[in-house]
Amino acid sequence: MLELADVHTYYGNIRALRGISLSVAPGEIVTLIGANGAGKTTTLRTILGTVRPRRGAVTFNGRRLDALTTDRIVRLGIAQSPEGRRIFPRMTVLENLELGAFARPDREGIAPDLERVFALFPRLRERVTQKGGTLSGGEQQMLAIGRALMARPSLLLLDEPSMGLSPILVDTIFAIVQDINRQGTTILLVEQNARMALRVAHRGYVIQTGRIVLHDDAAALLRSDLVRKTYLGEK
Amino acid sequence: MSRALASAALVAGLVVYPFADRALGLQTVHAVSDGMIYVLLALGLNIVVGYAGLLDLGYAAFFAIGAYSMGLLNSPVLGSPLYGHAWSFWLCIWLAAAVSALLGVVIGAPTLRVRGDYLAIITLGFGEIIPVAIRNLGDITIEIGGWRPIERLNLTGGENGVNPIGRPYLPGVPFETDPVPWYFLILVIGAASLWAMNRLRDSRLGRAWMAIREDETAADCTGVNPVSTKLLAFALGASFSGFAGSVYAAKLQAITPGAFEFQVSIMLLCMVVLGGAGSLKGVILGGMLITLFDRVVLAETTFFVRWVGRTTGVPALVAADLTLWRWLFFGLGLVLVMLLRPEGLAGRRVRPAPAADDDADDATLADGAPAPRVDALPGWLRERMRRGGHASEPTPILEVRGLTRRFGGVVALNGVDLVIPRGAIVGLIGPNGAGKTTFFNAVTGLLRPDGGRIAFEGASLVGLRPNAIVARGIARTFQSIRLFQNMTVLENVLVGGHCRLHATVPGAVLRPPAVVAEEARARTQARELLDFVGLGGKADDLARNLPYGDQRRLEIARALATEPGLLLLDEPSAGMNPREAETLTDLIELLRRELGLSVLLIEHHMEVVMGISDRITVLDYGTRIAEGTPAEIQRHPAVIEAYLGRGYEQDLAARDRAR
Repeated sequence: MLELADVHTYYGNIRALRGISLSVAPGEIVTLIGANGAGKTTTLRTILGTVRPRRGAVTFNGRRLDALTTDRIVRLGIAQSPEGRRIFPRMTVLENLELGAFARPDREGIAPDLERVFALFPRLRERVTQKGGTLSGGEQQMLAIGRALMARPSLLLLDEPSMGLSPILVDTIFAIVQDINRQGTTILLVEQNARMALRVAHRGYVIQTGRIVLHDDAAALLRSDLVRKTYLGEK
Repeated sequence: MSRALASAALVAGLVVYPFADRALGLQTVHAVSDGMIYVLLALGLNIVVGYAGLLDLGYAAFFAIGAYSMGLLNSPVLGSPLYGHAWSFWLCIWLAAAVSALLGVVIGAPTLRVRGDYLAIITLGFGEIIPVAIRNLGDITIEIGGWRPIERLNLTGGENGVNPIGRPYLPGVPFETDPVPWYFLILVIGAASLWAMNRLRDSRLGRAWMAIREDETAADCTGVNPVSTKLLAFALGASFSGFAGSVYAAKLQAITPGAFEFQVSIMLLCMVVLGGAGSLKGVILGGMLITLFDRVVLAETTFFVRWVGRTTGVPALVAADLTLWRWLFFGLGLVLVMLLRPEGLAGRRVRPAPAADDDADDATLADGAPAPRVDALPGWLRERMRRGGHASEPTPILEVRGLTRRFGGVVALNGVDLVIPRGAIVGLIGPNGAGKTTFFNAVTGLLRPDGGRIAFEGASLVGLRPNAIVARGIARTFQSIRLFQNMTVLENVLVGGHCRLHATVPGAVLRPPAVVAEEARARTQARELLDFVGLGGKADDLARNLPYGDQRRLEIARALATEPGLLLLDEPSAGMNPREAETLTDLIELLRRELGLSVLLIEHHMEVVMGISDRITVLDYGTRIAEGTPAEIQRHPAVIEAYLGRGYEQDLAARDRAR
């Protein structure tokens, strides 16, 4: 479904990605784990076209993405919940969510999906008329995820969905990830919480300084020495 | 060596230029002198716009105030007693600068609460008001029921302006007949201003301006007083235009309100933006380019076009006047620069710095932050903290009672109690939206509580501004990192030391030994702090170019530079993997153990909170639902229900069984 082949991305002279190859098959949850600055967010940005690869190809259902603009890519069925909660601060919670559905062709599907988001995050229903900017950090995170879900994407990119969320919500969010996946959405998940990510994912890639150093089934990665020491904090 | 040579060549060039001009019969000295006046104005505006980031669309008002101060004090129009004395120009130029600075404060004061677009609109208003006022103050009559205390008073000369204005006097120097002395007078004033601005920029005050520009809230919470800092920017920016205005008035010997219209403000702003806001070299370049283009290039090209018209017989060309098209050319130039070089011709580039492109750094990068080392802890910080008090003292370092804060109908904090004993690490946890960050904002003065007491070392903090609270000894970090992005790593930490430094404007410009020593000490201390948090090699990088984890540690270093007794950390390990979080935990524990620093910590990583907190307070919907030791909190039913979740409980049970 999604395929990155030897992708190199630069910021100025800094090599952020040094030849990333990965693939995501329909119906999968694939996770990308790695330290800060390893290139996880850059990989997502490259897929969505907010930065351009200098070398390599990104294909989605057989179509080259790396020449398309971001809005075109979103219309092909890819949505992202960006890291750092890039919500619209002066619009209400409801308006933020409705904007998530901006590029959707099926108007009638929006209302049930709104209900679905509220069912996932009851807190958002409580704050539906509040301005996005007045939400707490964790609530903004919920809103960013909810907004991405409203696009009803076939491929959902999640950038650190658990960041800033309480432990109980971290459990919920990963349950939601599995839930969305079962309903037919393919997911590429970037997470610092490698343990949880590998528990819900089918497969995983480990990225270090812009390169994939390991990829395997999620269960196998959970057992690997490198992952346990470096990303799970086990001694 | 080559730098010294270049400077010598520049000075020689500037000195030789007017004589060369005369020898060649070019007659450009007038235009260049006027250009330098505008450059001086643009440099003053650069303090307000480039350094402090306050968009001023009405800066010509200060130019007018400077010119009219000179005009009215040094002319017979109002019967000024100063007119006619040989040395009065030299007195009036200082008076004009003082009047401008004073009005800078008066005009700046009402704009302090607004930023961005709103500030620009208000300054636009002032820029319009001043010329209108000058026009209408030429004929004032006040009538109160038949009694006329003031009748037909001419304060400003109205539309006709002020004329004549006294010239400067120096024995044997022909200011009356020769443009060259003017050139040198303006050159000297400009060079002195530039020298002063250069020193201001590299001082505690210059850093404060830039911090305000980058993030006013973060600056306030780092100990920079935004009110006095902004007023100082307005006052100093205005005083330079006071100098420029008075020289302008004396050079022309006559001023009219038409010389200070809105277009002048815009042209000055163009000079700053074209050259590069915040860059002295850039502003000089931008200013000279625009004035010389206007006065020399357009005029000469007009002659050329007319000559072409005459020789080819095209009447439209014969009558052409390109100077009427100057705004078209300015506009085009500005658009091109903004498209091709948005930071200005000589501005600081904000793109990532070129990095070494080798593969050897893989290992260090993968390891993330280095572990904190006790021996790297700066001695001065240890010294300072020891003076701060001892853990044995009975007064808690922070005591919060019944803290209440509402937003409209929502009660964000509802009678919250929280006590931090000296030298303790206290965790503050709770579901998202429970009010944790609101609690931080109330303690640090960003929000005024609706009720309750906040006492730091026994003294109330309620009603104090954030920067005053920092000065008392509370520092904080932010949930979403708030560094001064376009300042260097070192400068960020130096801003942290702002409230512990004392240099004032005269000190920053004249640099007496005490200020030099203070600044050198501050820099050494900042470098030691950077070494301690593992950023020693990145002191000169822009903060925005640091990777995420480094930014988090820089924020902590900046907070430590304020020499706090209590450190508030808002989700410091957010976005870190377990290994990085562990390094952070070590750092916090080391600070407490070695410095006796008290810490209040908002955190969602349970390994971090449960690992280092002495006590934990749990908030839910603005209310404290639990308080206790980590062991008590982990098993508290209400906390499990609202925050930790059953999954956490199961993990805990599994871990217990494993032991």
